[in-house]
Amino acid sequence: MPQIYKLLTGLLAFTGTVSLLLSGEMNPAFSVVGMGLFPGYYQFLRSGLTAPKWTVSLLSFLTLIVFGFDALVSRDLFLAVAHLTIAFQVIKAFDLRDPWDHLQVYFVSLLQLVIASELMSSLVFGGVFIVFIVLLVAAMVLSHFLTEGGYGMVKMVRPVTVITVVTICTTALFFVLLPRTPYRFVGKSHFRSIRTAGFSERVEFGSFGTVKLDPTVIMRIEMEGRRAGMDYWRGLTMDFFDGTTWRHSERDRIPVSRKDDTFVIIPFRQEDVVAQKIFLEPIDSDVIFCLAPVKAIKAESFRLFVDRERAVFLPGKASRKTVYTAYSSPGEKVPGIAEQRYLQLPGGIQKIRDLAGRIASGGSDDRGRASLIEEYLKKNYVYSLTVRRPPARVGPIEDFLFTSRRGYCEHYATSMVLLLRALGIPARIVNGFHGGETNEFGNYLIVRQSDAHSWVEALIGGYWVRFDPTPSAQAAGPSVSALLLDSITMAWSRYVVGFSAEDQRKILRSVALPVALPSLREGMRLKWNPYFFLPLLIFILVVLFIRVRRRRAERYGFATVQFLKLVKVLRSRGFNMPSPATGRDIRERVAGSALAGTVHEFIRLYEENRFGSREVTPQDRKRYAAMLRQIRTLPLHY
Amino acid sequence: MTNQPLKQLQARLTSIIRGKEEAVKMATVTFLGQGNLLIEDVPGVGKTTLAYALAKSIDCSFQRIQFTSDLLPSDIIGVSVFNQEVREFEFRPGPLFANIVLADEINRTNPKTQSALLEAMNERRVTVERRTYRLPEPFMVIATQNPMEYQGTFPLPESQLDRFMMHIRLGYPAPQYERQAVLEQSGFDFLDRLEPVLTRQDMLRMQAETEAVLTEESIVDYLLAIVGETRRHEMIRLGVSTRGAQFFLRAVKALAYHEGRDYAVPDDVKDLAPLVLGHRIILKTRKYISDAVGVISEIVDKIPVPV
Repeated sequence: MPQIYKLLTGLLAFTGTVSLLLSGEMNPAFSVVGMGLFPGYYQFLRSGLTAPKWTVSLLSFLTLIVFGFDALVSRDLFLAVAHLTIAFQVIKAFDLRDPWDHLQVYFVSLLQLVIASELMSSLVFGGVFIVFIVLLVAAMVLSHFLTEGGYGMVKMVRPVTVITVVTICTTALFFVLLPRTPYRFVGKSHFRSIRTAGFSERVEFGSFGTVKLDPTVIMRIEMEGRRAGMDYWRGLTMDFFDGTTWRHSERDRIPVSRKDDTFVIIPFRQEDVVAQKIFLEPIDSDVIFCLAPVKAIKAESFRLFVDRERAVFLPGKASRKTVYTAYSSPGEKVPGIAEQRYLQLPGGIQKIRDLAGRIASGGSDDRGRASLIEEYLKKNYVYSLTVRRPPARVGPIEDFLFTSRRGYCEHYATSMVLLLRALGIPARIVNGFHGGETNEFGNYLIVRQSDAHSWVEALIGGYWVRFDPTPSAQAAGPSVSALLLDSITMAWSRYVVGFSAEDQRKILRSVALPVALPSLREGMRLKWNPYFFLPLLIFILVVLFIRVRRRRAERYGFATVQFLKLVKVLRSRGFNMPSPATGRDIRERVAGSALAGTVHEFIRLYEENRFGSREVTPQDRKRYAAMLRQIRTLPLHY
Repeated sequence: MTNQPLKQLQARLTSIIRGKEEAVKMATVTFLGQGNLLIEDVPGVGKTTLAYALAKSIDCSFQRIQFTSDLLPSDIIGVSVFNQEVREFEFRPGPLFANIVLADEINRTNPKTQSALLEAMNERRVTVERRTYRLPEPFMVIATQNPMEYQGTFPLPESQLDRFMMHIRLGYPAPQYERQAVLEQSGFDFLDRLEPVLTRQDMLRMQAETEAVLTEESIVDYLLAIVGETRRHEMIRLGVSTRGAQFFLRAVKALAYHEGRDYAVPDDVKDLAPLVLGHRIILKTRKYISDAVGVISEIVDKIPVPV
């Protein structure tokens, strides 16, 4: 067996295992176990040695026990299977005896890749996938050449390239054609979500400080006609503050009715709204973000909810990259009712009440007073992410307002809400994202964890008005290369992970348009079924298969095909055949068995037909068939 | 195709040199392929006996030249002497003018004399003083040599090595045969008394039949692939020449004929490669032919066999 074949098997096992480890979902212990691949294949490549049978059996037994334990304890069969495949690959690395073992490695690597595809959606997977396809195709082509006899680097390159390209094209075709549904491949999701701050049901005061320096991308936004002020990505609002924690006092969520694939919250006219296509990374919250006020959301989900503050929620935590389009009409006034909960205040805030009165004394109406408070906070306090812990028995807001005078958006926004409420103006805090940087490559907006922001909405004259008392802080932009890299990630999110039913329809329509009749176009949306392609595809594959068979017969001639059959039959009868085998190789191996006579005659006939001047006569054909039958059925020993 | 005489020859030779069927077969194959044979081994394992037995089993003229360090080219080719009676120079053929020439311990003589053999071995003729004399048919040189690492030897030049179709080693006989050999009468007397089992005509006919053995295209490709690989192999400084490939093909035909076939199979090529190519390559690191044979075997294992 040539070294390159062994190497390919090793690389395949490695790629499969690495794809799992890259997902970050594997138990760290199995990362260590995975390292076992290196000594295994090193030894295999160097000396072709395998571990003794009993060690392999023992290890396999132990692995099964660990697997059972793993599945029972973690209650996650999916991850347990993933762990099992890693252990299997490592054991196999020490136990590669015959071609069948190599095939097992291929199969398990493929399984690993399928599992990994469920575990991660990053760009890295695309790279791993391509590498895997190339390796697998090379390994299969090589193993084909080995059984058929005769391989060389020159011979290899062409079929590997052709088949790889065909495979990737077919995969792409399937990718485009397979129906998109909101169903998941496996019930439970195994994505690791990004930890965020500010979007859970209770928000501990000060939690934003931990994420303000985190450059992790939360979402990418494509949007037409962006204007100034359109950079407040509203998440959820909170109305109840107990001195250290914000929460929401009304937890009702109302399902939104769905029309086609659009969830309409408030009926709207297309020309009044700004559409934002948002690619949201998996985060640890079910809230989704958009400009306010939101009118409708287009998403491939079964259900969608809003709360009374018009925050929009998915049915569950965004467990993988979520793609949705939000239709909002920024600038439109949002009417509101002055409920008592917007005036709730924690106890012991007499000092704050006094301060509110002092600041707002010059204001003639609610709007003026609110603006004065906003101005006051902006001017008299220092934006800083390093905030000292307030002394005992002093609330963080009190400390910020009267002593430290240093803080970040949470301090400013909470202070303003409290000050407004102290003046009797209904107000609530809004958590979301603010700003984001434009990526010229691809023309979209990158919103990072560090763009997390809190601001204020106050009910003035029956409408909710946004105030942002936080002074703006300048941050250095990322480098060009970082932006370029991000645009590739965006393309991956956009065209691979976020490839939607709508995109499918778009492609099909553009493909079908030149030939389709106008009446057909109407029904295409519903009636078009990608499975129509399947019979065609199968037909093409069958034709290709037959052609390859015929080509093979032409290339080899009748006698060779018979000889290859003989090798196959003998192999199936338990004879260890080298590949390619020569006549003598076979004679030596069957010597002493009851087959020897027939095999000798067979080989003699083959050699005469193949290398001698004897033409294959119809009698010869019959003789081959008869001898093959005998060799297949005769008992091995007398 | 009848192989009766060939079987007799084989039987005769193996009765003299027991336990060396493979070496005997290869010697016969070389003769069938009209090549020259180089037998290399330590002194005293039957090299000369094999050559002598082969010559005596065929009804051919036989000459033996014991190569020594002071042997001159004229000693083997012959000299022109002035004949007083007819008053002109007359060529007296040397021992080279025989069907089978045993060049014993060829690496004991100096390169000048060694190279005198070159023309004879390749072209089956010798030129003396601008006159060319044809050597008799069939013609074969069986050279024996001691391994190069032994005292008092001149290594054969590559060009001369290349003219031998095959290079074989005998090795010590297996214990039971060695016992027989020790107990039985020694010396070459009984060899001299042997009756030939093959006539000269038989031999010529078989050589002609050998040439007609069919080598299918893929066999030639296979053979050339092995030869080609010797020129690319990283451990080899000098690969196999085109003449080497010609000899290889002739040897393949001869082996096929010897096996009773009128067509060659890949196994013939596989079997012969180490014997035919081993002495034709020069390794980068080690200089002994035995190392080269190992490299050739490695190459043969690597090149895919035609099916």
